[in-house]
Amino acid sequence: MEAVIEYLESIKFIHLMMSPTIIWNALPLLFKGFLASLALLIGGYLLSLPTGLAAAFMKMAKNPIFRWPATFYVDFIRGTPLIVQILIIYFGVPLLVPGWREFQQSWFGQIKVFGVIDMNQYVRAILALVINSGAYLAEIFRAGIQSISKGQLEAARSLGMTTAQAMGYVIVPQTVRRILPTMMSEFILLFKDTALFFAVGIFELTLQARTIQARLFNMSPYIGAALFYLMLTIPLGRLVAWLEARLAVSETGREPENRQERKRRKAARAKEAAA
Amino acid sequence: MSEQAMIRIENLHKSFGALEVLKGVDLDVARGEVVVILGPSGSGKSTMLRCVNRLEEPTSGHIFIENDEVTDRKTDINKIRERVGMVFQSFNLFPHLTAKSNIMLALRKVKKMDKDEAEQKAVEGLARVGLADKADVYPIMLSGGQQQRVAIARALAMDPHVMLFDEVTSALDPELVREVLDVMKELAKGGMTMLVVTHEMGFARDVASRVVFMDEGVIQEQGTPQEVFDNPQNDRTKDFLGHIR
Repeated sequence: MEAVIEYLESIKFIHLMMSPTIIWNALPLLFKGFLASLALLIGGYLLSLPTGLAAAFMKMAKNPIFRWPATFYVDFIRGTPLIVQILIIYFGVPLLVPGWREFQQSWFGQIKVFGVIDMNQYVRAILALVINSGAYLAEIFRAGIQSISKGQLEAARSLGMTTAQAMGYVIVPQTVRRILPTMMSEFILLFKDTALFFAVGIFELTLQARTIQARLFNMSPYIGAALFYLMLTIPLGRLVAWLEARLAVSETGREPENRQERKRRKAARAKEAAA
Repeated sequence: MSEQAMIRIENLHKSFGALEVLKGVDLDVARGEVVVILGPSGSGKSTMLRCVNRLEEPTSGHIFIENDEVTDRKTDINKIRERVGMVFQSFNLFPHLTAKSNIMLALRKVKKMDKDEAEQKAVEGLARVGLADKADVYPIMLSGGQQQRVAIARALAMDPHVMLFDEVTSALDPELVREVLDVMKELAKGGMTMLVVTHEMGFARDVASRVVFMDEGVIQEQGTPQEVFDNPQNDRTKDFLGHIR
C-alpha cells in the first residue's frame, strides 16, 4: 500500500492534481466544509419551497397586483447571475437592515450553524439562496400545475368539490408526482451553487479547498472537494433518472422505449446463453 | 314554474369575448325526461350544458335546478353540483387514483361519508356499470369505454337528481361506443333525468323523450324523436339531418 502511494506521488501530474496524501490530510477540513455546504443547501432549499409555491400562485393569479410583482421577481432572478444576487444580498443586508451590527455581534449572531458557519453569515446566505431558488421553483410549480389538464379541475368541481378541495386532492398530488424529478434536479443544482459563497468568505467546501490549495501550491484539495460534491450529486442524479422512468410508466402505462429495449436484449442474451 | 321542472333555462346568453355563442336559449326539462341535444359543432350545445352546472359563467339569463337558481351568485354552487352529475368527452378520471378511489373521493370529501360506507357505495357503483372486477385498477389500465363507465359511476355515486352528458362517446373507438350507450340506456329506463349532447342519432331516436336541435346559438326546433327525425320543419334541421344520413 505504502509503495503504491509512494509510486503515485512520484508522478508529478498525480502529485500536483490528486495527491492521495494531501487529499487524505485535507479530509477533516474538507468534511467541515461539506457540512457547511449541506447546511446552506438544506436551509436554502426547505425555505425556497414555500417561497416558490407562493410565487407560482401569485404568477398564475388573474389580479395584476399579485401577478406583476411575481413576474418581475421571477424574471429578475432567472435573468441575472446568482453571484451578483449573492453579492447584493450578502453585503446589502448589513447596510439596509437596522440593528444588523448589534445582531452580528450578539451571542446569537455568533452561533455556529452545523458547528461551522456563523449565524449572521448563515442568515444572509440562506436569504440569497431562498430568493434565487424560489424563483426557479416557482416556474417548476407553475409549469407543473398548468400541465394538469383543465378537465381534471372541472371534473372535481362538477362533483361538488370546492376549489381548495380540488387543488388539494386532485391537482396538487398529480403535480407533485409529475415535477418531483425536476424539483430534485433543482436540489442538486442548488448544492453545486453553494460553492459560490466562497466569494463572500463563507467556509463552505470550496473555500476550505481553496485555503489548503493556496498554502500548498497544489491542486489536490480541489479534487478532494469534487469528490465530496460527487458523493451527493451522483446518487441523487441516479434517483432522478429512476423517478423519471417510474413516472413515465405511471403516466403512459408502459415502460419507456429504451428500458423495454434493454429488457428485450437481456432476455435474448439469456436465451442465447441457455442454448 | 311547474312543479316537475327539473331544469329551467331562461333567455341564456354566453359570449367568449366578442364571440356570442349562445344567443338566448330557453329550455325546460321535466323530471324523468331524457332530452337529447343535437346540432353541428360550434352550435353552442356543449356551452349550454356547461352553463347548467356553471362550469361556464353565463353572460346573462337565468338557470334553475329544482327551484334553486344556479345563476344567482348567492347560491352555493357546490351544493347544486352535488345534485347535478356530469360526464365529459375526455372522461377526466383522476389518474392518480384507482377506479374505486375515483368514486370514493367526492363521497368522502363532499358527502363526508365514512370510509367503509363510501367504499361499499363505490363497489356497488362499479358493479352497476359492469366493472366490479376493476375496482383496484388505475385508469391508465382501462380502455376508453371502461374509463367512461367509471366516470358515469363516479357521477352516479353522488345520487344526482339530473345527469349531464357532454359528447361522452365522441372520444371512443367505434367498438367501445355501445357499452357506454348501454349504460346510459339503463339509466334512462330507471327514470333518471338526463340532458345529453351527442352525435349518436340511434341513441337519440331510441332513448330520447325529446330531441332539441340547436344551431347558431339558439334552439331551432324541438319535439319527439319521430317529429324531428321523420318530419323536420326547420330548414337547418333538414340540412343537418340530411348531411349525417
